[in-house]
Amino acid sequence: MDLPGPIHEILMLFGGFVLLLGGLGVVLLTNPIYSAFSLGLVLVCISLFYFLLNSYFVAVAQLLIYVGAINVLIIFAVMFVNGSEWSKDKNYWTIGDGFTSLVCITIVFSLMTTIPDTSWYGILWTTRSNQIVEQGLINNVQQIGIHLATDFYLPFELISIILLVSLIGAITMARQ
Amino acid sequence: MMFEHVLFLSVYLFSIGIYGLITSRNMVRALICLELILNSINLNLVTFSDLFDSRQLKGDIFAIFVIALAAAEAAIGLSILSSIHRNRKSTRINQSNLLNN
Repeated sequence: MDLPGPIHEILMLFGGFVLLLGGLGVVLLTNPIYSAFSLGLVLVCISLFYFLLNSYFVAVAQLLIYVGAINVLIIFAVMFVNGSEWSKDKNYWTIGDGFTSLVCITIVFSLMTTIPDTSWYGILWTTRSNQIVEQGLINNVQQIGIHLATDFYLPFELISIILLVSLIGAITMARQ
Repeated sequence: MMFEHVLFLSVYLFSIGIYGLITSRNMVRALICLELILNSINLNLVTFSDLFDSRQLKGDIFAIFVIALAAAEAAIGLSILSSIHRNRKSTRINQSNLLNN
């Protein structure tokens, strides 16, 4: 998004901070309805990041599909399942939890040392050099539409078939 | 803020999703953490699409495909959850042994 520098920075920092807290809240909150709402917060922050990264169509699709459909579906499922069994779910810390947290912290630190060491700008120059400068008047949404109708036509159709099959499967499993 | 910070956030979301997916004893929470993992992948795709491929935007198209697959996966997973809850009156992961007997 073409914002002036400080506003861009402030929005990025705010989104990142809320995303850190929301990610912790998804895992650590004991009641699943709270973690579902926290997931909604995380999804809205990711949509803010998509807006800041110039991909407006994906941002709006994220807001509509993730926050509007998937999160609402998860909240409905949490409310549909009997609430009394959440409370007796004691939060004891087993040795598996400790081992898993150790593995995950190892993944985080190894990737965080790998990412600054990689020379991204070398890749950037090699990709920019052989990219044809097709400076058109087309904006992002038209570009995505053109790609979906030409290059990615077969995956698009396959996605529609997958959605149809999963819809039928969900209905038949839920209505017995 | 550099794009590397967005990659750091994506790494954080991915690992916290893995942690929740392994340690959760509750099926709804496992599905929620799966959504976190898919979102971190989408964040990576959109970041690299903005950085390397800002003309053609193929990463955005893959992100849209991932979002559609996540919607299908959430619908299937939650209908399986309601079916298990109807048969077993419980949604604990370690108690769902319907295929066992």
